[in-house]
Amino acid sequence: MMNSENSWIVALISSFGFVDEMPQWFYAGLALVCIFCFVIVPCGGLMSYFERKLAADLQARVGPSRSGPAGILQPIADLLKLLQKESRTEWNWKENLWLSVHTMALYSTLAVLPLGSMALLVNTEMSVFLPFWSALVLALGTMLLGLSQNSVPGWFGGIRVAAQTLAGSFPALISLLCTGVRSGSFRWSALAESQGFSPWDWTLMANPFQTIAFLVFVISGLVLLAIPPLDGGLSMSDIHGGVSSHLYGRRLSLFQFGRFYGFFFWSVITVVLFLGAWDLPIRLVIELKDRGANQLLAFFELCCLLVKTFVLMLLIIWIAKVNSRSRVDQITDFAWKVLSPFSLAALVGTSLWAGWRAF
Amino acid sequence: MKEFRRETLKTDLTTWTIGPYHGSLPAPIKLRLSLDGEIITDCDVETGFLHRGLEKVCELHSWRAALAYSDHLDPECAVFGELVLCLAVEEMAEIEVPARAQCIRIILSELARMSGHLSFMVRMAKAVGSETIIHYLLRDRERILDLFELLTGARFSLNFLRFGGVSADVTDGFIERVLEVCELVRIRMKEYNDLFTFNFGFLKRTSAVAPISKNLVSACGITGPNARASGVSFDTRKIFPYSGYNRLDFETPLGQGEGGILGDVHDRFLIRLRELTQSMEILKQLLDVVPSGEFMNNKMSQDPKIPPGEAYARVESSRGLLGCHVVSDGGASPSRVQFRTPTVANLLSIPQVVCGIRIEDLPVVLASLDLGIAEADR
Repeated sequence: MMNSENSWIVALISSFGFVDEMPQWFYAGLALVCIFCFVIVPCGGLMSYFERKLAADLQARVGPSRSGPAGILQPIADLLKLLQKESRTEWNWKENLWLSVHTMALYSTLAVLPLGSMALLVNTEMSVFLPFWSALVLALGTMLLGLSQNSVPGWFGGIRVAAQTLAGSFPALISLLCTGVRSGSFRWSALAESQGFSPWDWTLMANPFQTIAFLVFVISGLVLLAIPPLDGGLSMSDIHGGVSSHLYGRRLSLFQFGRFYGFFFWSVITVVLFLGAWDLPIRLVIELKDRGANQLLAFFELCCLLVKTFVLMLLIIWIAKVNSRSRVDQITDFAWKVLSPFSLAALVGTSLWAGWRAF
Repeated sequence: MKEFRRETLKTDLTTWTIGPYHGSLPAPIKLRLSLDGEIITDCDVETGFLHRGLEKVCELHSWRAALAYSDHLDPECAVFGELVLCLAVEEMAEIEVPARAQCIRIILSELARMSGHLSFMVRMAKAVGSETIIHYLLRDRERILDLFELLTGARFSLNFLRFGGVSADVTDGFIERVLEVCELVRIRMKEYNDLFTFNFGFLKRTSAVAPISKNLVSACGITGPNARASGVSFDTRKIFPYSGYNRLDFETPLGQGEGGILGDVHDRFLIRLRELTQSMEILKQLLDVVPSGEFMNNKMSQDPKIPPGEAYARVESSRGLLGCHVVSDGGASPSRVQFRTPTVANLLSIPQVVCGIRIEDLPVVLASLDLGIAEADR
């Protein structure tokens, strides 16, 4: 269901003049396409560039430097190259089927992607939990994609991804509940309103248990979606790429972009849950609302959210670049034996803290 | 000592053949693995993909040309192949080598050992997926290759040693630059330790993984750092000194089981890190007292005639004991040249070493064995 606050989308589309009255599903679909094309894809290109430049700086290299000023156009050059490549293997309907399932599961989360107080397509009490459903379907799709490839890297890669997802989803879900205890709701808007612009107002800083919950949530997200440095299921050198080892050209670019999107999505959720969401200084918000500059406010909120998201992502990339890749059994052990108990402790602690504060 | 045993799933066995070219293999070999789940239960190793008939080629060419071909025994550390052939021929023909030439040979050997150990660490970093340290290590190894280029004109295939000495004297500033590189590597040791030795992720990947027991060391004839990591104190430079190593004061580091089990992957890594320090110590001692005099025995001609006879010489290469058996019938070319290379023993140990490990650890274990397939297939 489309959020009533999304009238700006309707207004924007109507301003083109070619539609007067369109069904709501059309507006929702168009909004998803707009978000994908104008937010996700540029973010993917930018992060790819930042990641490579950061890695180059860490590794005493130059990094991308030929395409455009300071190599900024390198992601576009890479994409164009990959799109030109043809598949080396014959048409495999199973592989295509599961790649489609994988892709659909991943991008279905676009509908619940919180990008600002005025850009919430789905804002219900279940909003926060929907990404988990998609992550599990994503893991299933990845596993079956691997199993359909008729190769050892695909089989092992698929099964390892499934094992990681199962291990990571439990602590992630429990630590997510901690944020609900503080805000009293699982609506994106309520979670954002319970925080503020100042870091001292963030859920992360609310109490020590929320800090634990934040750390568990970030790390279990890396486990769940197999993001470096906990990407043993997808990138271990014995299976040289696992599920992606048999993908080429367009399919590989689709898969790789999907991996970026998973990382980006998880980082956005983390920012919304723990790091002050899109909250701007209250005076600025009042000023903009008074002047009726809602679109400008939405833009500022989006920028605030994206900056925090990029910083978080770059921190994780930094850690990944200087550390060894962990084995999948070590990752799942860590998730079950360390992250899960800590997440439960954080939930109990947060609940007691909230109860104590209430009295 | 803790017994090394993996829990297995008792599933049906499957087989997986990898190689000769695969991302997890450090060199072209083929492995036929039997798997129980993800645990390797059996392994069959096939080699020979890099066979060049090197020993036969040496027999078909002149003595001087054979020396050039011995470079290709191990392209990564070419000087050891040259040195061992030189030592064998010099012993057989009773050729004297000036003290200055011997000193230059040791300098080159120790620089090659450092370069070889840095390459080993690069392969380890690749195997564990640690990207950043690869670039640091390669950057430092480049400095050593620069020194080779400065002295010999080549970075890998040096072709610098001659029967009775070396082909040229050290150039101006060479000694100072060697000291600079030693100091640089000493400073960089902190980076290596931070990103490797004390790195939690690296320790998790290498500790208590695939230990080599002392029994396996003697059964397969493993030598060099791999043997010393298992606590076997065998160093050719100490037991059969050559080129003046007996005049130098250096230690032979041994594995101490810091990773949990003696002779595991972590020990094999640490031993090379410590040998790097020892090589720098040796270089510093040498560079303080480089003897003056000739760099080549003046009685030797460009294309020497070697009297009939046979000899065996051995050197400590970066991978272990490298031996050379040379036979001469008094002709213009060798009658027989045979090399004893350390990698063959390491290859022999693979089936025992990898049994019981997870296939995710296979790249790490193979990298830790420091396989020089070029010298094994030769």
